[in-house]
Amino acid sequence: MKAQTMRRIAPYLFLFPSLLLLISFVYAPALENMVYSLFSWSSVRIESRFVGLDNYRELFASQIFWRALVNNALYAVISIVFQVFFALVIAAVLVAGVFGPLLRNFFRTAFFLPSILPVTVVGLLWQLIYQPTIGLIDQLLFATGLQSLSHVWLGEEATVMMSVIMVSQWQWTGYMIVLFMVAIQAIPSDLYEALRMEGASRIQQFFYITVPGVRESTLILAIITIFGAFKVFDIIWVMTAGGPNNASEVLGTHMYRSAFRNDVSGYAAAVATVIFFITLAVGAVQIRLQRQD
Amino acid sequence: MDKLSRQTETGSERAARYGTLSLFWIFALVSIYPMIWLTLSSFKSSSEMFGNSWALPQRWRWENYVAAWDYGVSQYLISSVIVTVASTAIIVILASAAAYALVALKLRGRAFLYMAILGGSILPPEVSLLPLFRTVTALGIYNTYWALIVPYVAFGLPFTTFLIRAYMVKIPLELAEAAEMDGAGPFWTFWNVYLPLSRPILASAALISAMRVWNEFIFALTFVESESVKTITIGMMSFANALRGDWAVMMAGMVISVLPIFVVFLVLQRQFIGGLTQGAVK
Repeated sequence: MKAQTMRRIAPYLFLFPSLLLLISFVYAPALENMVYSLFSWSSVRIESRFVGLDNYRELFASQIFWRALVNNALYAVISIVFQVFFALVIAAVLVAGVFGPLLRNFFRTAFFLPSILPVTVVGLLWQLIYQPTIGLIDQLLFATGLQSLSHVWLGEEATVMMSVIMVSQWQWTGYMIVLFMVAIQAIPSDLYEALRMEGASRIQQFFYITVPGVRESTLILAIITIFGAFKVFDIIWVMTAGGPNNASEVLGTHMYRSAFRNDVSGYAAAVATVIFFITLAVGAVQIRLQRQD
Repeated sequence: MDKLSRQTETGSERAARYGTLSLFWIFALVSIYPMIWLTLSSFKSSSEMFGNSWALPQRWRWENYVAAWDYGVSQYLISSVIVTVASTAIIVILASAAAYALVALKLRGRAFLYMAILGGSILPPEVSLLPLFRTVTALGIYNTYWALIVPYVAFGLPFTTFLIRAYMVKIPLELAEAAEMDGAGPFWTFWNVYLPLSRPILASAALISAMRVWNEFIFALTFVESESVKTITIGMMSFANALRGDWAVMMAGMVISVLPIFVVFLVLQRQFIGGLTQGAVK
């Protein structure tokens, strides 16, 4: 009798710790956050005041918020170009056997390596590389007579966002190349063989076999990339903290500063809720796609 | 490329191949040169670092490493190791238990329960950050290792469960049924059948979890403040701020903070990439 009961509840015992942790530390806080966004409160004042949608009104009237949103969108677009389109082409060349196996493995590892670095190291490293005059970039420009192109890369409003975005591309494109290589390798090789017999060039093979063959993976990887672009925080916090003059602000840094620097927690919760709905939309598509396997 | 096609290569094809090759060398250089520069610079003096950027160090200054180590990097490393090992162990145990129940046991609402776990993967940490900060404070674990371990486990579970479940699904159910016929309970089957058979994916899952925890940023920035509890990602920020100007020592610290992951990656490259590509998640 006791063994029977045990057998019935055992499955739930296996799931219980995971569900408990997820509910208390992932789901409940996300919901709480939405409630917070309807209040005006801060850590110094004990009482909080219900303000309805005031935080959202303030948010949608804030120039910084819109600038952050545009920066996130820019981040997403550039990331798609590099980490999806560009990565797919590079992966296709590597898989196609244009180079010998040794060289191919070398390139793969070389491209992948930046993705294992902690973001702090990447951010600090590129701060040094972007240093005006003495940094590697400016040294290259000066050595090639292109000093007119030199900028205070992280100090000018016009260049700061692109400079940070490019660091992210440096770090993650190789990672995506490796994922694409796996997807391409799953395409049956006789498809290529057949097309080659008919005298199709490598470029034709790419468009007629590789591209349709990795359609689904491409979709998933594109979604992951967009997802990452709207929750980005760390690289920007390390390199510029959103500055100068909010020029490199994204939703994540805007939220963090509002909560932990400016102490307007209700407003910060509203920003977080916006991030929540954007990523929810993106993530719902991802889960739907992943469930198909 | 097979011999035949290489022989029949025309002039323009050869030009295209060499063009591609040089392009790839440039990409590879852009990809790894910053890391090489970091390593070389960490052995230079600060003035040499910028004045003589492209050269080898005039003298290999190991003392930069000693200085960085003594300046606090050793403490950050210890914290990172503790947090990473604890979080990874708990994540893998809980995730494999959950995956096992989802795959091999009779459950009501299996699909719903699976979604309840998987759904956590679409919530970015920013969304829960503020309430979590209050929770962590209320639990009295703010500024302790637990303030990092508990959220890391919660946020690591969805992906790891997904990964392990996808592997356990392929283990024939007959094994579990046979064990049950012989009177074995679910715990016995989990421990003696499913865990041993899942060893390859457990290795990948542990590796990926460890990497994510090691590199995690926003919780580590928010939930601890003492230097003695800071993990290396955040520790490096205070380290860099304290050392503004002493670039070479700072870079030695950066190299030290990368070294453990680098070694693990080189040794376990295959398991690592295998796990990543199965999950297709950053």
